[in-house]
Formats: sequence, structure tokens, C-alpha cells
Amino acid sequence: MTTAALTAGLERIPDQLGYLVISEDGVLASAGELENDEHTAGVMMQMVRTASRFRLAGSVEPPFKRMSVILEDFVYTVTVSGQKVFVVKRQNNQQEPISV
Amino acid sequence: MGCCYSSENETTEQDSDESKPLITHPNPVSKPPNGTDWITTSVPSARTDEQALLTSILTKTAQNIIDVSAADSVMMEQHEYMDKARQYSTKLAVLSNSLPQKKALALPSLTSQPHQVLASDLVPYSDVQQVSKIAAYAYSAISQIKVDAKEELVVQFAIP
Amino acid sequence: MKLIYQMLIATLEQHLDDTMKNPAVVGVLCTDQQGHNLGCRGSLSDEHGGVVSVLAKQAAALTRDPTDSPTVCLESESGNILVRSHGTITVAVHKIAS
Repeated sequence: MTTAALTAGLERIPDQLGYLVISEDGVLASAGELENDEHTAGVMMQMVRTASRFRLAGSVEPPFKRMSVILEDFVYTVTVSGQKVFVVKRQNNQQEPISV
Repeated sequence: MGCCYSSENETTEQDSDESKPLITHPNPVSKPPNGTDWITTSVPSARTDEQALLTSILTKTAQNIIDVSAADSVMMEQHEYMDKARQYSTKLAVLSNSLPQKKALALPSLTSQPHQVLASDLVPYSDVQQVSKIAAYAYSAISQIKVDAKEELVVQFAIP
Repeated sequence: MKLIYQMLIATLEQHLDDTMKNPAVVGVLCTDQQGHNLGCRGSLSDEHGGVVSVLAKQAAALTRDPTDSPTVCLESESGNILVRSHGTITVAVHKIAS
């Protein structure tokens, strides 16, 4: 898949505020609020590596298809496909702030 | 105990080498680091029981002390430090060439359809709220546990 | 001191038991910042403490607002594992899809 084909799909995601496509060698593509955001790219790469060590008893595969980091106003949704990490920043439209 | 990355076991075949000095010391210091060299552990039979008892107390005490000042007893000139640093870096460069390159962990493949996965519905707000409440409650249950350090770990001895 | 400690642990254990009463919850874990396990139930166990605490710490680097605490969620069709810190502790809750 070409980079253009990869990112065209990301542009169409509802409520997206920006995205990153990252490989082992660095950022392949970025846009919107995540344009050239090396910091977020670095943290996401670390988090993917950490999360991929997670195993439930009796399973050899990581128990997830997507990782989300949910903040008050937006959500980072992350997945890995073909040795590339995809990060999409989406608006969090879900009502009132969390009261604890 | 589940510490982070506790499943990562390094190979242990080189364990015996780990404590070996990287470069051999030109004039090894024979003085033991805990400073027990100034205590005679043998008790001559002529001594009284009281003396023997005192000596054994002294010996026991000495064994329990780590003399921090003795660790710095080997004085080195600045050029010696530089020399040593050079020797170490040369040695390390040689050794690192013989080490197998540790390959970065390959990324897992989580999906073959990244766009669909990323575009699908977000986690329900009620679930996020639920885990927030569980965390807050757990914190309030546990937050009063504190370790009170009452004594110093390093004690200064007045040496006459 | 020891008695108070036991009482607090008992409070936490009770809280974990109560959490497990929710039919969608199949596992719960509580860890400190170092990944030391403070208590766990069901599908989440000792071995998960390290990953859970590291993940929470890494996620905290994504926001500059200290009051905006991130929730990390590992999602699949069969269920989600949600990770959230509060103060010095981090909890993970494994929920299956209902």
C-alpha cells in the first residue's frame, strides 16, 4: 500500500483531528493536530511495545486490536498493521467530564 | 511479584564473568573493604573470659559494619582516571563487537484492516466512568498506608 | 501499624470483590507505581502488574494537564481491558462485551 492510500482512509475517519503513521524508522506520515508531532509518536511507539507484552492466561496473542487513550476532550486510537503503527486523534464527544 | 518485564529472562551463561573486573588491576589492594584488617579474630587462651567476650563482641560488630570511608582509600590522580576511562572504552568497544546484536522486538500485527479498526465506535463513556470510580475508591482504601522511616540507614562512627 | 495495614488491605480486597460482582467484569487488578501488585481477581493476575503500571505512566506523557488523567483501553471484540491511575495507584479492569 502506498503512503497516499494509507492516509486517504485515515482522513475519512469521523471526528478525526489528526493522525500519525509510524514505522520502526520514524514518522512516515502525519497531519492535522498531530503534524510533525514527534513527541506523541515516540510515546505511542513505547505504549504499543508495552501493551504488546500483555497476555491473558493461555493466550499467545496480545488480547486487543486497538488501543485507545481516552482524555477529557479527545481520544487517541491506535492500532498496528503491517509493521506500521497508526495513531488517529479523535474528538471525544461524550458528554460531561468524569466526576470522581 | 509482578514487576514490569519480569518475564524477560536474560541468559545466565555469562554469570560467572559478570563479577570479574573488566581490566585487571596493576597493583591490587589487598585491604578488605569492610575494614576488618585491624581486628585480630583469634583469642589467645591466656586471656580471661571477659576479654574473650569483649573481643567476640568487637569482631561481631566489625563484621556488621560496612566502612564507607575505606571504599575511597585508593587515591587516583586525574590522569590515571583518564587513562582508566580510555582503557575501559577500548575494552568495551572490543567486547561489544563480539556481542550478538539484540534485535528490536518486531511489532505485533493487531489487524489487517487498520482503517476500520480506528474508525469504529469509541469505548463507551460509562465504562471509562466506571474504571475511574474503581480507581478512586481503590486509592482511598490504600492511600493511608505509609512506611515510616524512623532510623538512619547509614550511621556515623566517631573514630578516635 | 500492622493492624491498620491489614484493615486497609481488607478494605481494598472487599472493593475488588465488589467490583467482580458486576457480571461484565471478569478481572480486576490494583498495582502501585512500581508495578507491585496490591490485589487482583479473575483474569488479571500478578504478572500483569508491571505492564499495567508502565502503560499508565507512559500515557501520562500524552497530556500536559495534570488534572486530565488518561484512561488506556486495550480493545477487542470479546472485551476491553481498561487501565486508569488515581494518585499513586493504577487499576486495570477486564470487561467482556455484553
